[in-house]
Amino acid sequence: MKRNLSRLTIPYVVWMALFVVAPIIMVVIYAFTSAEGGFTFANFASMGTYAVVFTRSFKLALIATIVCLLIGYPVSYMMSKEGPGFQRIAMVLIMLPMWINFLLRTYSWMSILENNGLLNQLFQKIGLIALYNGIFGTNLEFFPMLNTQGAVVLGMVYNYLPFMILPIYSVIVKLDGSLLEAARDLGANNFNVFRRVILPLSLPGVLSGITMVFVPSVSTFAISKMLGGGTELLLGDLIEQQFLGGAYNPQLGAAISLVMMVIVVVCMVVMNRFGEGEEQAVML
Amino acid sequence: MKKRNSTFNRVFTFLVFLFLYAPILLLIVFSFNAGESSTVWQGFSFHWYRELFQDRLIMRSVYTTLLVSLLATIIATFAGTFAAIGFYSLRRRQRHLLTTVNNIPMMNADIVTGVAMCLFFVAFFSGWSSFATWVNGIQSVFELPTRLTLGFGTLLIAHISFNIPYVILSVSPKLRQMDKNLVDAAMDLGCTWFQAFWKVILPEIKPGIVSGALTAFTMSVDDFIISYFTAGSSSSTLAMTIYGMTKKRVTPEINAISTLLFITVLALLVITNIREARMEQLEQRRRDLPTATAAEAAKYSSPSSSRLPAMLGAGAAAALVICAIWVAGRNAGKPVVNVCSWGEYIDETLITQFEEETGIMVNYQTAESNEALYSLLKSGAGDYDVVVPSDYMISQLIEEDMLEELNYDNIPNFALVSDRFKNLPYDPDNRYTVPYAWGTIGIIYNADMVDEPITSWDAMFSTENAGNVLMFRNSRDAMATALLKLGYSLNTTDEAELREAKELLAQAKRDGVYQSFVMDEVYQKMEGGNAAISAYYAGDYLSMLDNTDEPLEFVVPEEGSNWFVDAMCVLKDAPHKEEAEAWINFIASTEANLANMDYIWYASPNEEALEQYPAYYEELYEEELDPEIYEIMAASQETLDRCQMYLVLPYETRSLYNKLWTELGI
Repeated sequence: MKRNLSRLTIPYVVWMALFVVAPIIMVVIYAFTSAEGGFTFANFASMGTYAVVFTRSFKLALIATIVCLLIGYPVSYMMSKEGPGFQRIAMVLIMLPMWINFLLRTYSWMSILENNGLLNQLFQKIGLIALYNGIFGTNLEFFPMLNTQGAVVLGMVYNYLPFMILPIYSVIVKLDGSLLEAARDLGANNFNVFRRVILPLSLPGVLSGITMVFVPSVSTFAISKMLGGGTELLLGDLIEQQFLGGAYNPQLGAAISLVMMVIVVVCMVVMNRFGEGEEQAVML
Repeated sequence: MKKRNSTFNRVFTFLVFLFLYAPILLLIVFSFNAGESSTVWQGFSFHWYRELFQDRLIMRSVYTTLLVSLLATIIATFAGTFAAIGFYSLRRRQRHLLTTVNNIPMMNADIVTGVAMCLFFVAFFSGWSSFATWVNGIQSVFELPTRLTLGFGTLLIAHISFNIPYVILSVSPKLRQMDKNLVDAAMDLGCTWFQAFWKVILPEIKPGIVSGALTAFTMSVDDFIISYFTAGSSSSTLAMTIYGMTKKRVTPEINAISTLLFITVLALLVITNIREARMEQLEQRRRDLPTATAAEAAKYSSPSSSRLPAMLGAGAAAALVICAIWVAGRNAGKPVVNVCSWGEYIDETLITQFEEETGIMVNYQTAESNEALYSLLKSGAGDYDVVVPSDYMISQLIEEDMLEELNYDNIPNFALVSDRFKNLPYDPDNRYTVPYAWGTIGIIYNADMVDEPITSWDAMFSTENAGNVLMFRNSRDAMATALLKLGYSLNTTDEAELREAKELLAQAKRDGVYQSFVMDEVYQKMEGGNAAISAYYAGDYLSMLDNTDEPLEFVVPEEGSNWFVDAMCVLKDAPHKEEAEAWINFIASTEANLANMDYIWYASPNEEALEQYPAYYEELYEEELDPEIYEIMAASQETLDRCQMYLVLPYETRSLYNKLWTELGI
């Protein structure tokens, strides 16, 4: 029976080869092409200039991923302990924000974090700003929150948190309860049950959560524009500038994308080694 | 065995949900705002919901979004499920390889995927074109179309391609959890393979399929960048429409449609969940008390009720598809014209009026900036008939032989254009363009937040207002402010001068002068009193005034400034040239110019319309038009004499601009 079934992959393989692999090859070709059409390495020669941008993007994406993990894991864990009705509703509520365009949601954050925004008005009303000024002898009218790297990280966490929660939750909720009982029967306390049973078993979910948060965070371009003030570029901005924005140079854009892709893939491969050959990402 | 959560844990979970929903609540609240601002509350109203249903552009894009997402989800769910079953039966090594390929769309930045697909489709189309010509040449039995274009088809292919991996990822684990012997047992007992699939595999993996489909649908709705590069000129999704607006302003109608979508989906999902939960309870009870409630349970779990949500979904899907066929059928064979302009840059009743008068359908799309438009045209993603770029971009397009000469006999209304706007440097002999609107750049400032009125570009670089200044987020305009302050020409090609200008900006950036680099975020920031000074366009200053109590002022600084013209042109080899000229002629009429001027607050190049506007305004709003406002909108010749136009820069200088701009951002 198995032989028959494997034929089912043929249409899929053809489709993916045509519409996923072939376009990627186009990008690779572009990366090694000069504006005039000849073969060149020149697009990679200037890569050193952008090292700062690479470092900044990877740093912010890493922080965002860690924050997502720190929030996402406990939430998934707690969700899995609630009743089935609550779990279902919670799952839906986590997906639902994506039905509103990310641009609009990010705009919304702008008006919350602005100097004159909702949060600062709230802080003013409850006297937090006055209190802060009293303690530190400063003379602030508001807390500057927007246009900082912190705001960019917040934007990333906000947009990609669901991608962390969903895979972790889907793994934890399927854990075999008898394993936990067995561990307890054998004398493990709560902490040890978590550390030696739950955590290792949920690792596949954690790994795919990390991938799904880290990759879009590294390549985002709207979030840094709107929440970061657009004064410090991220990789996504740099690529977007070459393809869409004020600095049209698709060859350079392709080269930067290629370098980014390679780094990301290397990171993921290394990380998956970590997961003891757990070869498949898990989602939902 | 399971311990319930402590109060602390519940509070934590609640806070996380609050975090996820706070911005959405805000967005919903502002969809009921009476004014256009998204920060200043101006009273409750359903105004934007009424506007929404008259806004063809948005309604059409909502429809495209839903249709493409639905079709892509259905196809991807089928394909992905079967592929996952196929995966499952492969040997480990083959499976590993395929899983890697499957992860590519997710490991790849969206923008790269989008551009890659666009490059691929365009390359394929040009290959196809030569192939079709060859085939048509050697035989005459049938004729292949030689010209393929991006459109709904390519959009759908792109969406299917990025959706399949999500389906596979969520179906695969369910397959692995399934007992492998079940299928064999079923087949041993005489099932055909299809029966085994239907009765054994499918129920086992159903939760995976459902969640895969849900994820795929959500991803499709949320996607912007891949659609942007693959949709071509005839279809645009909601996300694309929103993005196109970001050069000018995102209207609250978008908040309204988002609210509606959000609430519909919420309601559907809640209903489905409640039903499922009730079903499960009954199931449970039936198991506990086999006889007593069996009848009752049977009543509730009869197929008709358990499939209600599915039937609702299928019904909605069918309705949408029928709608699609109907719309396609109704418009098939009708002449069309594909227009690309800026977001919020036309009074949309004009589109309807044009369609009724001429029977020509208008596909109206928007780009985010001149540069974005250029890259759309260059990469082949935009095959429009009419575009409305600004002066310097027009020169560049002419230089690269991308525009078609107009037949002015078909555009009699061109005679109405004031002589001031004819034969301008970008089109010296007026062979390619008909002006659309014009305006100036200046400094907008909040009189309460600065010590004295601003008169000079110095304000954009002095530390006096550090942290309260907004700078353009596009290279040409940002560099222009620095060149003006330094007293150099806006069109200088001197590398030293340009470097000096960039250094001025970089120094100000290091000194913390700039709060941020903005395009349409400027509205939110100036209207809400979050920033004191901003360089921006005159027309947009005027629409800010409608929405704020902040004392905003506008000045064209003493050193002079830039004045610009946006003009309509037809692209080379446009398939609908005559329709395009009909559209241009219609828009150039005095009535259309008056309506447009009133809607977009940019001045018209039509002499009559310019003269009549104050009277038109008075009649419409029953109050006199403030002459100062009129002067800001349609600057006097005196002011224009102090301003320079942008000219197209030579290739080397453009590359230098790109380089300097990127350096500034690093």
